[in-house]
Amino acid sequence: MLNQMNVRGLLFDPYNNAYIVILRDEQNSDMLPIWVGKSEASAISFALEKIAPPRPMTHDLMKSILDNVEAKVISAVVTDLKDNTYFAKIHLLYGDSEYSIDSRPSDAIAVALRTDAPIFATEEVLRKQSSEELERWLENLKPEDFGKSES
Amino acid sequence: MSEQNNLISLKVHGVLVDPNTDTQIVILRDERNSEVLPIWVGTAEGTSIRLALEGVVPPRPMSHDLIQSFGEHLGFEVTSVVITEVKNNTYYASIHLTHNGLERNVDSRPSDAIALALRTKSPILVTPEVLERRGGENLDAWLAKLDPKSFGQQEA
Repeated sequence: MLNQMNVRGLLFDPYNNAYIVILRDEQNSDMLPIWVGKSEASAISFALEKIAPPRPMTHDLMKSILDNVEAKVISAVVTDLKDNTYFAKIHLLYGDSEYSIDSRPSDAIAVALRTDAPIFATEEVLRKQSSEELERWLENLKPEDFGKSES
Repeated sequence: MSEQNNLISLKVHGVLVDPNTDTQIVILRDERNSEVLPIWVGTAEGTSIRLALEGVVPPRPMSHDLIQSFGEHLGFEVTSVVITEVKNNTYYASIHLTHNGLERNVDSRPSDAIALALRTKSPILVTPEVLERRGGENLDAWLAKLDPKSFGQQEA
């Protein structure tokens, strides 16, 4: 069972010097916070803000290669959570066949946003993760931490 | 490409950390070691190139491993990457693919092209014009100031 998720935004985590991608399901009842590195966060943020960089960034290149070989991104799925690490797959349609390719969630999300493909999470991942961790983290956050995202 | 014959093959000599900025420098050399082409790249791209140089297979696919994996699944091959142009100190590159017997060129930053070439064991080529026009005159001075210990000292 898959739940469709939307990217709600990105937060900067000043404690870990990392970023958090916030995914929420359509009813806004489940939340999936995924910690990602700086370059992955910027790849996701460019797509969210629909900024076309002057030169293709890595995920623009991915889209361009897939377009060139006429492969279509069907979906990105966050499939598993083990030891605080999320796993994902990118589903491609190529010719008459479907391919699923292992990926980090950050790459899968960055590609899905550029190709207007839906993002899903399995029930299992939503069950395994508890947003308690994020809630605790958010409670500790001071207002001045917001928007402090320079490198 | 008619000028294909004039292209010069380059090897990645190493990746340096520029201690003054949040960037890394990929050092490309030709096979006779007579030409040096330094290309400034971002931290993520520099790290990706270094991992490929060292033959490190990360536990989870990094972005360029994912592109390589697309090729393996869908059956297209990277035949070469070419550094095609330099304008205002910015380098441009092109990734050459064969797909169903047809050649396709995809525009890329040199950093992505090099990261992908190392993973797919494809040649890295440069046009003679780029070598001529590179901003190498400041490099020797810059390299001379560099502490040898800076080589290879960067965390992932």
